[in-house]
Amino acid sequence: MKRLLQMFLLISIVSALLLYAISSLNSSQGFTSSNTLTIYNWGDYIDTDLIERFEEETGIKVIYETFDSNEAMMTKIEQGGTTYDIAIPSEYMIDKMRQEDLLVPLDHSKLPNLKNIDERFIDLPFDPENKYSVPYFWGTVGIVYNSKMLDGKEITAWADLWDKDLKNEILLTDGAREVMGMGLNSLNYSLNDTDEEHLQEAKSKLDALTPNIKAIVGDESRMLLEAQEAAIGLVWSGVASEIMAENEDLEYVVPKEGSNLWFDNMVIPKTTKNVDAAHQFINFMLDPKVAAQNAEYVSYSTPNKEALKYMPEEVVKDERFYPSPELTKKLEVYENLGKKNLAHYNELFLEFKMHRK
Amino acid sequence: MYDFKGFTMEWYKELFQDTRLLIIVLNTLVIALLSALIATIIGVIGAIGIRSFTSSKAKNTVLSLNNVLIVSPDVIIGASFLILFTMAGIKLGFYSVLLSHIAFSIPIVVLLVLPKLQEMSPTLIDAARDLGASRWDVLTKVILPYILPGIFAGFFMALTYSLDDFAVTFFVTGNGFSTLSVEIYSLARRGISLNINALSTLLFVVTLLLVVVYYFITQRVRQTGMGGKR
Repeated sequence: MKRLLQMFLLISIVSALLLYAISSLNSSQGFTSSNTLTIYNWGDYIDTDLIERFEEETGIKVIYETFDSNEAMMTKIEQGGTTYDIAIPSEYMIDKMRQEDLLVPLDHSKLPNLKNIDERFIDLPFDPENKYSVPYFWGTVGIVYNSKMLDGKEITAWADLWDKDLKNEILLTDGAREVMGMGLNSLNYSLNDTDEEHLQEAKSKLDALTPNIKAIVGDESRMLLEAQEAAIGLVWSGVASEIMAENEDLEYVVPKEGSNLWFDNMVIPKTTKNVDAAHQFINFMLDPKVAAQNAEYVSYSTPNKEALKYMPEEVVKDERFYPSPELTKKLEVYENLGKKNLAHYNELFLEFKMHRK
Repeated sequence: MYDFKGFTMEWYKELFQDTRLLIIVLNTLVIALLSALIATIIGVIGAIGIRSFTSSKAKNTVLSLNNVLIVSPDVIIGASFLILFTMAGIKLGFYSVLLSHIAFSIPIVVLLVLPKLQEMSPTLIDAARDLGASRWDVLTKVILPYILPGIFAGFFMALTYSLDDFAVTFFVTGNGFSTLSVEIYSLARRGISLNINALSTLLFVVTLLLVVVYYFITQRVRQTGMGGKR
């Protein structure tokens, strides 16, 4: 009994000490004050120095929390019990969240810096007039290839993937929209096409690609490409910039037929307790210098036109991540095609996955 | 991910400057300690209660209920807790995580303590009562010392379960409160930075030290204990 009591006391004391340490660490950061802003972002997707600067400039204390998928984020917000003031979902999620009535409309008068965003990225189909969202980062879907493994061969278009020499070299992403989009784009159709004939054509075009496909994978494609398990991968530009930093032989290209354009966007979810601070934060992040610093840290493409002036020229001129206006015209955002069409896309993608070599 | 280039302390330095990560580590430890402690107390009381049932039907019913949390998948437990907490209006954060950890640790403690109790001969209790021990004396001087190894096993089991739980915690964290497993998982999208490796090294060294210290303490206790007997 004595030992039990000793143990009990010891653990209580240790926990009390730890709790004290946490609260003093928290208060040293000023988290206890009532004027707080809770940000819900992807892991490692902001330069934390900027959060500190925002706290200093405004006196608002930031609580920063991270998520790993749009779906997880939406569940947390939908269920309530949380007080997120800012969230950063991808564009297809915004449509969904708007329909579920989870977003607070933005007050544009409080966002003077909105003018810094490139017109190309304003008023897009997933959020007309930017009523609910402001783009945070953007990117493309394209091809990563290992020039060394391909003996210096260059890839510039989707059509190049159908080359007979590329047997068993291609990794595809396990996403119906991405892969079907690739099929449609390679035939110069829109990746939001719903014409049955076009879709069937794209599907049989994709079937013809099967001998070249090594695997259809998820997030592990990043590792496989880095480790040179495959020479070619269909990836998002963000993933591309990361793995290119690790393996110098890798090259990224946005196919010239056109491709997908994606966005991660700042929104104010319904769970907010501090709408003013949320607007202040969005406006702060739209400041050209802030956006430039953030873009350099995250190494994704910023939609902030003014920020480009503060960034190194070799980054801004890099056509792989800041494609020329001619190419951007061919890039399309995924539109919400409705349940029926989406199911059809998924069905065709499934059939393609089952297609035998 | 990273090629080995040489030795550096840089990541340790960065780790200690990252207060957010430190807070998360401390959170994880506090949650583990507190939940294991509370679960052990409730679990021991539960096990003693279960043993005192006279009808075996009632006993089996309670035991099966106890096992529900062990057999059901973590994801289901987590999702159910999320729904429960939001319905009950409990804000997600420290308390929601603590409560759910206590809940899934209790059955483990019960299962570890119960065999010890059943192995104990009832004559021990009868003898103690015969010799004039009160009910409280029987509990504190006979039963608890006898099942002590079970209690410790239960406590440490609950501690490890809580430390490495991901699925349940994932659902019930929120409002700036996070534990290590959940945090590392969210970092995975952009590749995990090397301070996580530094952190893992430190945690490993600390646990190793604890094990060594624990070993020496038990050695000493055993020696002095034996000396006392002679």
